[in-house]
Amino acid sequence: MKVSKWSERLFGTPLPDAVVMTSFLFPLLYLVMFLVIPVLVMLATAFEYNGHISLYWFKSIFGSSYYFNPFHPEGYLVTTRPYGNHEVYYLFGKDFGVVLNSIIVSISVMILTTILGTGFAFIMARYDFPGKNIMRVLLFIPLLVTPFVNVVVVKKMFLPNGLINWIFYEHLHLFPKPIWIDGLIGVIIAQTITYYPIVYLNAYASFINIDPSLEEQAENLGSKGFHLFRTVTFPLALPGITAGAILVGIFSLEDLAAPIVFQGSNIAKKLMSYQIYSSFVSGFAVGNPQMAALALVMLTIALIMFLTVRWYVGLRQYAMLSKGGRWKPRVAKPKWWQALLIAFVAVPTLLLTIFPQIGVILLAFSKSWYGTWPTGFTLENMKAILTQPDIVRVIENSLLYSTVAIVIIILLSLTASYAAGRFKKAKLSPILDSLATIPIAVPGIVIAMSYFFFFSGVPPFKGSILDPTNLLYFFPGAALILAYSIRRLPFAARSISAGIQQVHVSLEEAAMNLGAGRWRSLTSVLLPLIYLNLLGGAMLSFVYCMSETSVGITLGSINSTWYPITAKMKELIIGAVGSANLAAALGVFLMAVQITAIVVANVITKQRYAFIGLT
Amino acid sequence: MVDVKLENIVKTFDGTTALKGISLSIKHRELFTLLGPSGCGKSTTLRIIAGLDYPDTGHIHFGDEEVTYLPSYERGAVLVFQNYALWPHMTVFDNIAYGLRIRKVPREEIKKKVEWALELVKLKGFENRYPTQLSGGQQQRVAIARALVVEPKVLLLDEPLSNLDAKLRLEMRSEIRRIQRELGITVIYVTHDQEEAMAISDRIAVMNVGTIEQIGTPREIYEKPRTEFVASFMGKTNVIPARVVERDGDRITVEFGSFRLDGLHYTEKSDNVVLVIRPERIRLKSGENTVSLTGTVDLVEYYGFFTEIIALFEGELRIIARTISDREVTGLRPTNPVTFYIDRDDIIVLPKQL
Repeated sequence: MKVSKWSERLFGTPLPDAVVMTSFLFPLLYLVMFLVIPVLVMLATAFEYNGHISLYWFKSIFGSSYYFNPFHPEGYLVTTRPYGNHEVYYLFGKDFGVVLNSIIVSISVMILTTILGTGFAFIMARYDFPGKNIMRVLLFIPLLVTPFVNVVVVKKMFLPNGLINWIFYEHLHLFPKPIWIDGLIGVIIAQTITYYPIVYLNAYASFINIDPSLEEQAENLGSKGFHLFRTVTFPLALPGITAGAILVGIFSLEDLAAPIVFQGSNIAKKLMSYQIYSSFVSGFAVGNPQMAALALVMLTIALIMFLTVRWYVGLRQYAMLSKGGRWKPRVAKPKWWQALLIAFVAVPTLLLTIFPQIGVILLAFSKSWYGTWPTGFTLENMKAILTQPDIVRVIENSLLYSTVAIVIIILLSLTASYAAGRFKKAKLSPILDSLATIPIAVPGIVIAMSYFFFFSGVPPFKGSILDPTNLLYFFPGAALILAYSIRRLPFAARSISAGIQQVHVSLEEAAMNLGAGRWRSLTSVLLPLIYLNLLGGAMLSFVYCMSETSVGITLGSINSTWYPITAKMKELIIGAVGSANLAAALGVFLMAVQITAIVVANVITKQRYAFIGLT
Repeated sequence: MVDVKLENIVKTFDGTTALKGISLSIKHRELFTLLGPSGCGKSTTLRIIAGLDYPDTGHIHFGDEEVTYLPSYERGAVLVFQNYALWPHMTVFDNIAYGLRIRKVPREEIKKKVEWALELVKLKGFENRYPTQLSGGQQQRVAIARALVVEPKVLLLDEPLSNLDAKLRLEMRSEIRRIQRELGITVIYVTHDQEEAMAISDRIAVMNVGTIEQIGTPREIYEKPRTEFVASFMGKTNVIPARVVERDGDRITVEFGSFRLDGLHYTEKSDNVVLVIRPERIRLKSGENTVSLTGTVDLVEYYGFFTEIIALFEGELRIIARTISDREVTGLRPTNPVTFYIDRDDIIVLPKQL
């Protein structure tokens, strides 16, 4: 074999090597085929009008006050309105048009989750108090993903006869009148409660990872209390906190659960994600290029957020600096006023934010829920999971799709992490690395939308089982598997590339030096060393495939025989009275799957996996 | 700038006693070193002096003032961490100015003082760099400048050279000595490197498992070690277990194997002793007051200007001699017979430690 310039440039190996080439080309081609090209097809649709390249569809969005209304917002933040025989404060939200509403909601959720998440993280990272371990376990509960039903519970909590008023109005008399949270503010609250653990986990990791000597030195020089926090601790944790907050911002942008549950008030529908989704549901507007343009606007915002934070965090790789020295975590007993804050602010807030998950369980085991608490204990809903044919069917479907997707995800993340992690000098390496992580910033609804245009318009997919307009033969499972394998790839990829980075390249080189080929050294040295990462990452990806929402309730809800769990849950939530209880039972099932996976990941692999909640 | 006194400091961490009653007295303007293997308690002692940890019992005085439980920043003992602990989100200027800003020093004066400190550590022109843009040696200098700029009563250095490469280590060593002399401040220095300790210190305290074995000048520590541990910790040395067989006042005769050495100086009670002989004190020619040991050459190691001869005595005891590399020495080959001569006064007899 001859030394080849192009092989060295593209793949980082002077001698062309089939294993390395496959490791680069398989994930690269897959991601280009099922992520890049579909988005480009959608982009082409959005920029085309009457056969010409045109900004027509974008102008139609930004020229319409329905979509873009910065100067004359309608609606109100708070008003008083009658409810039964008394008055309540009604929190609603102003309507600045679909695009700005999405941005405003996203920013509000980022701010609120940052406050909550950073607060809890600081308490957990730096204080030692009785009951801390219980709190640690409780903080893990909001991470459990229960699509739609947790938002249903949040909505109930903030009704005039809900839990919040029961506590703060009826019993503590802290509110002069009951409150009722609905509309965009309802969406913001629901998303905040759902997503703050993401900021919490990021912030917690950041606080824990600060070299104690950096703070000790500041104390030694005379800094203390809030000054120490402001000048040293917080700036050092900021990159981690920002990364968490931006992730939350993107999740908020693409979230469908909250807008769908709050769709009773029209303003909650005036969000980008909902608009695109509703074009699927209503059917007649689904091929509308205006929706492609809107999806593109959404994607652009998400990508800008993602790339900005990557650039910002990349600039601040603080962890690298410290070496040697002792590493004794800084944990203190809280002072009396801090103890009071923990006991009377942090703990109650935590209890309220885990209530949605508790509420899902209550809902699943009850007949109805109209007032503050559910009524009528029943096991029927849980039984239905095992017996009711349509419910059993969706569980089987989801298990099937997720299992197939996870096989693809493992293959993709192994090859991509190996290629990008081991051959950093290759020209393809940074491209592959970006492509494997970027799906986290691509809203699910955008993937659904671009798949629609791609599979229904581009041969050879047009007219195939992947074509959603091919009513007779369309198989949603295939589209869902592709979508899952793209959307949930980053979780496994991140875990596996972390594993590969921990294995020094010399271990493989030693094997090859002793005569093992590339393939042999990979399977006999690298794989056994990283299988724990692989197992953990795969389980993480699996549970999030099971609870995937955006694609599941759009492309996945075209044919009820092939519904995934989330499509069924959505149907139940917006459907007949009482079926929310059945949806909650499915929520309980999903929680059980997640808890099992987490326990397995933590106990058997003896590694700590922080599950970040997303739908 | 004051005397530092430690009285009977005891510290336990999770049930294990890290310090078992440390007492020290450090003089004004002294460069005092805590020397010992890792885990001996030297860093803990330093952290207690800095006020980053507090002792279980015992007292610390700075001059006349008791500072045992005073918060770190109120006692004016500034620590330079082993890892430098430079704040990565601040520039060199901001790092150095940090302590001054807390002390509410006027802006103009901060500028002047930071400049002075940077000049002192020869880093002028680096004000706007971030720590990640500096080399290890430069980071070290910034850390020292940051500590010095607040004019501490005592400067505490925790293994300051351990993260530097060999050449830089020598350079920074004399740099630290220069700055200490120039400013005339008290420095307490922690290291596990005996050579570094001897080169830099006025006095050294050798520590072992939470106790102080010996305090003295580098020469005293090296030439008159008081315990077996100190003797073997301070550089390459021969430690030969032996038994006292005769006593005549403070002169004794000892035996090991079939060797018998008389006229050695020893005043302790224990008959189980070790003979400590520095390799460079062993000669190949007899002298007035010498004893001799005859064995065979096992290994000759050539180091350039000196050579080490490792000789075997009675098949099992190995003794190292270090001499100038003259022709006679370099001509020695393994299995050649060789006789080592040692001046009686160069044999230190110490009671055997466990």
